[in-house]
Amino acid sequence: MSLARAPKLATVERWMQAVVMHPEGAASGVRAGPARRLMPQAAVDLETVVLPSKALSSVERLDIYAHMYYARLLEILTDEYPTTKQILGREAFERACRRFLRRHPSRHRTLNRLSEKFPAFLARHLPPGNRGRLAVDVARIERAMEDVFDAPQLELLTAAGFAAIGADQWQRVRLRVIPALRLLKLRYPANDYMNAVRAKGKPRIPRPRATYAIVYRRGYQVYRRDQMPEQFKLLSALAAGRTLAAAVRSSIRGRRASPEQLAAMLGAWFRDWAAAGLFGAS
Amino acid sequence: MTRISLPNRWNLPDLGLGVGLRTQHFRHITEQWPAMDWFEILSENFIDTEGRPLHFLDQIAERYPIVMHGVCLSVGSTDPVDFEFLDKLRALAARVRAVWLGDHICWTGVAGLNGHDLYPVPYTEEGLRHMVSRVRIIQDYLERPLVLENPSTYLTFASSTMPEEEFIARLAVEADCALLLDVNNVYVTCRNHDLDPAAYLDAIPYEHVVQVHLAGHTDNGTHCIDTHDGRVIDEVWQLYARVHERTGGRATLLEWDANVPKFPVLQQEVGKAARFRNGERLAATSAAA
Repeated sequence: MSLARAPKLATVERWMQAVVMHPEGAASGVRAGPARRLMPQAAVDLETVVLPSKALSSVERLDIYAHMYYARLLEILTDEYPTTKQILGREAFERACRRFLRRHPSRHRTLNRLSEKFPAFLARHLPPGNRGRLAVDVARIERAMEDVFDAPQLELLTAAGFAAIGADQWQRVRLRVIPALRLLKLRYPANDYMNAVRAKGKPRIPRPRATYAIVYRRGYQVYRRDQMPEQFKLLSALAAGRTLAAAVRSSIRGRRASPEQLAAMLGAWFRDWAAAGLFGAS
Repeated sequence: MTRISLPNRWNLPDLGLGVGLRTQHFRHITEQWPAMDWFEILSENFIDTEGRPLHFLDQIAERYPIVMHGVCLSVGSTDPVDFEFLDKLRALAARVRAVWLGDHICWTGVAGLNGHDLYPVPYTEEGLRHMVSRVRIIQDYLERPLVLENPSTYLTFASSTMPEEEFIARLAVEADCALLLDVNNVYVTCRNHDLDPAAYLDAIPYEHVVQVHLAGHTDNGTHCIDTHDGRVIDEVWQLYARVHERTGGRATLLEWDANVPKFPVLQQEVGKAARFRNGERLAATSAAA
């Protein structure tokens, strides 16, 4: 090819990207609209753009990159969503991943955020039914585990530090929830299901039941567990920046208990949360 | 035998023998503090995270020299330079006191997307001008030389007007950047493009080479893939010996990223390089395996 006819670098890059990111492989990618509009001659005679080797045709050489693109990103998604995959089965999971990657290709230099829209994507695209809805809930937990893994560390509020907050301060004190905490209101007992998968392998798909999960990191270990609805409401109010007094009021409104019982209950909750490291020191 | 000692033009040190730092070995390294001259990190694994990887890296950087090697700088891309990403690289380099930092002679995405792979550019004057300009901008911003690696490539653009090794040599000289010569990639690329690896190595300006990579690959018969999943083959050791004869010693690193073995296996494999560094002649390479 003469220099005068050589395609511009920007055109070559956009063309190659369109080809190797095509979900049906390089041969389809070369013929598809985006690549064809950039370099129509490639669709007619690919060898004018990519040379064959002694052993491989031009399209086979492009297919090495096309295969690696999906293989690499599928491996990432499989690592991040093992229980989602278990629920959907390998074939349906990988089909969903490919559709997701086509709709939401990576726009970041690191892979940490590749799948941040995956649970919402599954919610929109999985067929209705218990299996699909459970998969969405589990995917939300698995994504939250990725998020908290990378979240910043804070100096933590200890149980003693919490106990030192006098009752007279509750009206103005706002606890700082750690960045490595996610609160997930779910339609299924997804956390229990994940535990059962870890323990036994393949539990039955449960019926819908509202659950309230927290996912958090303590030190460098990621944890997940369910909370009671009132606990979840209280943590959510604190995370939203409400004062301690306002958050407590909103969460226990309507609960029948003596002041002593309430104080004991709240004390136990906060000791547990402080031990889990859910609040920052300042 | 007269031993050659060709310094690189930045007088960057020969760090000895190192391996790529992988999560599977975090605990072993921080509990055993094994003998290893230095570690190379994949920069992107420690960016946009404040979790466990950085916790271990901070400890390891206290005891071993660290080199940063990235996969997403995309110096060949026609997208604008991402200065925010350069800031993150600079911050990480300061945190771990990186001896140097680098990436690959490639592009990884365009139009705001990222393929997370090392894509080749057409080896043209336009491609060279573009990459020289980008490398200069990045080096100026980072205030240090970039150490750029020859990638494994699987296709040849019909528009290329020069061989890869000439493109790399001219890039190094014209952008005044450093080179990381991956001898496994030289082998893989030459197999995939029916080229002579010895001729490829002869074209490299060794005063720009500051580091050498070793790795295993997968030979599919029709082509090779740079999989980093096994031991270094004899032919690649021979290329390493040839590079050593030309330089007299460069920081040498073993990459092993798939089917990652226990740390002592890495120590043993990279340790084979010591024989060449101690002056063993090329003819003895068959005993390296």
